[in-house]
Amino acid sequence: MSIRRICSYLNAIFILSICLTGTVTAFEDDDGCLLCHKYPKMGRITEDGARRSYYVIPHVFGSTVHRNVPCKDCHSYIKELPHREVDTGVTCDSECHSIKNPATGKNFSHKSIYDKYMGSAHGRDKKAEGHDQDKPYCVTCHTNPIYNPNEDTPPKQVTQRCVVCHEDEEFVTNWYKHTSRRIKEVKRSPKEVMELCSSCHGDKRLIERHMKDAEKDGRELGEKYPFAAESYQQSFHGKVVKYGFSKAASCLDCHADNDNYYMNVHDIRPSRDPLSSVHENNVLETCKRCHTRADENYAHLDPHPTPVSESENNDFRYYSNLIYGWIGDVVLVLLIGLALFETIGRRRDGVGWRLRKGSTWWRKSKRGRDRKE
Amino acid sequence: MKLSAEARDVLESTMRMNKVSDAEREDIERVIESMPEDRVLLYKNVVSNPIGDLPRYDIHIRLQHMLTFVTFLTLAFTGLPIAFLDHFWATPLNDFVGGVDVSRIIHRTLASVMVFSMVYHIIYIFWLVLRDILNGRFILQRTLIPTFKDARDFKDDMLYHAGKRDQRPEMDKFMYKQKIHYFAAAFGNLVMVVSGSSFLFPEFWAAILPVGSASYFQEMMRLSHPHEALLALLVIAFWHWYNVHLAPGRFPMQWTFLTGKITREHQIEEHFLEYLRNLVEIPAEREYLLDMEDARELSSTDIDESVVIEKPE
Repeated sequence: MSIRRICSYLNAIFILSICLTGTVTAFEDDDGCLLCHKYPKMGRITEDGARRSYYVIPHVFGSTVHRNVPCKDCHSYIKELPHREVDTGVTCDSECHSIKNPATGKNFSHKSIYDKYMGSAHGRDKKAEGHDQDKPYCVTCHTNPIYNPNEDTPPKQVTQRCVVCHEDEEFVTNWYKHTSRRIKEVKRSPKEVMELCSSCHGDKRLIERHMKDAEKDGRELGEKYPFAAESYQQSFHGKVVKYGFSKAASCLDCHADNDNYYMNVHDIRPSRDPLSSVHENNVLETCKRCHTRADENYAHLDPHPTPVSESENNDFRYYSNLIYGWIGDVVLVLLIGLALFETIGRRRDGVGWRLRKGSTWWRKSKRGRDRKE
Repeated sequence: MKLSAEARDVLESTMRMNKVSDAEREDIERVIESMPEDRVLLYKNVVSNPIGDLPRYDIHIRLQHMLTFVTFLTLAFTGLPIAFLDHFWATPLNDFVGGVDVSRIIHRTLASVMVFSMVYHIIYIFWLVLRDILNGRFILQRTLIPTFKDARDFKDDMLYHAGKRDQRPEMDKFMYKQKIHYFAAAFGNLVMVVSGSSFLFPEFWAAILPVGSASYFQEMMRLSHPHEALLALLVIAFWHWYNVHLAPGRFPMQWTFLTGKITREHQIEEHFLEYLRNLVEIPAEREYLLDMEDARELSSTDIDESVVIEKPE
């Protein structure tokens, strides 16, 4: 088979696949964006050398929460095709023009939660400069998988009942998917929360960078900032959470107001901020969410004790641990020393020191009549 | 055998306490006299039943020991993988005991059994002391309370093991090692109960302590619980198990914790004063000892005669 022949086959397959992909898109592509973005190789290497992929996988995007939003609603800066170089890209506070909020009738938008987030310790613009770059933007935490539970085939016993009146099978299936994934708990588990927060707050180099920046700018950082993740992981909360126990407090259980979890996890503030749930005026109420019988004294207990490896700002813990360690070592050395000394000493008893002559081993306790000196 | 002043005191007081008749007193003195001066000869020649000959622990003490050690080991296995979770063995061990969801239930349940065992023990020994005092049979030296004699025994025993002394000291029912171990375990138990309760009821401890020290206390307890647990486990593994399983003459194990009895050989070697009390309280033991000495030609009177004959040469 000649090369030319193989090429022509491949060409045919390629063209066929293009035609086929066009027919299986699960969402409306009225603007024809997929004309280019359906190609896996669609991407570039930026000036900083980072690889960027602009590939949109139709059937994957077709099952995300945004599948019914036309591309241009978010990518509103695109006025012509082929479009110019994108500067900022999509920001999550933009307003949809095609989707209405059924409750208010206004254009749909994430603005309210975006504003909450911007007021929190994590708030940053999408195009951020300096140390703000280390802060998480929406998509740092909002990765799609947690919003996409595997719901390919909605349960028949539910949809069959709906279809009796709503008639349209497709409508019922889509409606079911829309609501069911919102009724479902899409919170991260405490363990996932810990891992997510630790991915930045446990990053030594990031912490160091921020401490230096803060010192230079004369900004204040929290007392626990240098070891927030480490000290949590060494605390009892952290240990059992790490083992997958779901009832112990994760980062968000204390650092976010629990009035409306989904809203308030976006509003994490430093403890020096009076609005923070761990501010000294609010911390007791926060403890009481779980420890219902907590009192003023209880609020003074430290959930982030300095790791025992550091003496910094907690000499008490550091030296207690050191002394405990020493006591343990000394006691063990002394006792094992005593046991060894005794064993050697008893060899004088002749054969008695040998295990097989133990009085509990044989019926007779004849450890040797002759005494050896 | 010529008894030391201390041993003589023990013998006299025991005979007084047991109100022995004159005939019996004579019998006891005869047995004592027949014993060879070298106690090593004595304990090396007696025949012992491996599961024990002489009474030592009653059923309550054995039960308390059983409750404490079964709960202790299980508590250690369920607790250590949580305290030391960054170690390689922690996760497999934690999975083995059923994961945190299960092991926390086991840990707390067994902890309450251990607390029960502690309370049971404290009430029981207080009752024993009270009973003995009322009956006029309380002897301080026979209890676990440390005395100056223990320091002397320790020194003498070290000298014996170093080869500087001919015989082990005459020790009472509880020797220095047992007293150290008992109080270490009692202290450790208390630390574990207090620190454990500060994890389970942090609100309670915070409420009863002054605000300045509540946080320090909690931190101290968080350190104490794993440190004390590990220390206790290592002391048990390397010292207690050595003493009762591996020590020369004790292998493969002392059955005392099950049978409540101690072997004759062990009693003479390490608890000679208690053996003297046994001789007063158990006539059959006197009979046995005389027979044994006859059979093995160990009677000190025989030796004395031979010495007398040999001396002129």
